Amino acid sequence: MGTVITYTEHELVALLKDRDSKAFGYLYDHYSGALNNIILQIVNDVELANDVLQEVFINIWRKIESYDQTKGRLFTWMLNIARNASIDTLRSKNYQNSQKNRSLPDNVDVMVKAQTSELNIDNIGLRKILEKLKEEYRVLIELAYFKGYTHEEIAEIETIPLGTVKTRIRNALLQLREHLK
Amino acid sequence: MNIQEYISSGIVESYVLGLTDQEERAEFERMCAAHAEVRKARELFELSIEEFAISNAVNPSKNTKSKIFADIEIENQELNTQRHGNDTNPLYVASDDSRKASVVVSRTGWQRYLAAASIVLLIASTALNFILFSRYKNYSNRYSILLAQQTELAKNNDVMRTKLYTYENTLTMLKDPDMAIIKMPGTNVPSSPDSNSVATVYWNNKSKDVYLLVNNLPQPASDKQYQLWAIVDGQPVDAGIFDLPTISGVVRMKNMPRAQVFAVTLEKRGGSVTPQGPMYVLGKVS
Repeated sequence: MGTVITYTEHELVALLKDRDSKAFGYLYDHYSGALNNIILQIVNDVELANDVLQEVFINIWRKIESYDQTKGRLFTWMLNIARNASIDTLRSKNYQNSQKNRSLPDNVDVMVKAQTSELNIDNIGLRKILEKLKEEYRVLIELAYFKGYTHEEIAEIETIPLGTVKTRIRNALLQLREHLK
Repeated sequence: MNIQEYISSGIVESYVLGLTDQEERAEFERMCAAHAEVRKARELFELSIEEFAISNAVNPSKNTKSKIFADIEIENQELNTQRHGNDTNPLYVASDDSRKASVVVSRTGWQRYLAAASIVLLIASTALNFILFSRYKNYSNRYSILLAQQTELAKNNDVMRTKLYTYENTLTMLKDPDMAIIKMPGTNVPSSPDSNSVATVYWNNKSKDVYLLVNNLPQPASDKQYQLWAIVDGQPVDAGIFDLPTISGVVRMKNMPRAQVFAVTLEKRGGSVTPQGPMYVLGKVS
């Protein structure tokens, strides 16, 4: 193997803000798999995840100027772009599916095709850890993190007080953190 | 709430995973700026999330990277266009080498697209030229053929008109009640080289104009010509030389005020003063 270029996060960010395509290539090589994992957990479709990943990296390239290092690490910033893009995609896909199903109730082909590219996402990433949580926590993380509902929406869906939603989510996250170690 | 309680409230994890509302987010950022411990706790959780995500990485399909870079190439190109359009007020100032390098890279990308586009255009244009040229040749050939046919038809038409004109003239002449017809059979001449020869003289009694119709005369040698004679008081008088008419019709000969007999002899080309050659036909004026 030749010399492997490594950047400190600071150098990497500076180069990215300079629109250095080599640094962007490095960013892709190091983080595309990790971000793809996050996207997959939400959209649950390999092909769709590839599309979202493509959109996410283009957004990273476009918005790098707005990244503020004082507010968090670069990966955290990218993770949130990936998560938001995935949730947006999932919502527009669900919307389209509901439209499609209305006009084509017997379209078995579409359903079969959709199933074939689906994964067993229970075994990847954070979901693996989620399995270790209590049921009541698991549901809330599912709704908040993977489905992107606000605490108010979750309170409505689960018919529990908003304060309880907040507390339970925070407790769930603390447990999650313990399992990450 | 002291700092430690704040850190262990789950706010750190909520913030990093994007589950805070705007108010909580703003508060957390203020706390981070103010307290190194909060910052430290955030970084620790960020790192554990990052490491976990990297260790659980699922590689995307191989062509995703090239798709992303192709898209970015296009964006750079647009950015450069904007930059060139605003030279007096540049959006970005090229201040270091890496920026210059990226501009060069994107320019070559831009040129690649242009080169690819021009090759496509060239091929399309060549193909179009070829199609148009073969069509042009096809039409050009057809035009030549039509032109030749048209010329041929026009020529035929001229020939037909001339023939018709001649026939009309002949008919008008023959219908004239003053026209005398003197038939000259070869049988009238015992020494005629061809006893089947026949010619007819039409002689207008009033104008004294003489016309000759060749009914049947053999084709003469090329150095010979037929000559019509009027015999006036026993003396032959030249009435004109003639070739076998190419179009059947009546040939106008010399005006002849008086004559008793008409005869045709074969003379040397250009005619003779007195008949020298053999006589073919003869007819008496009735």
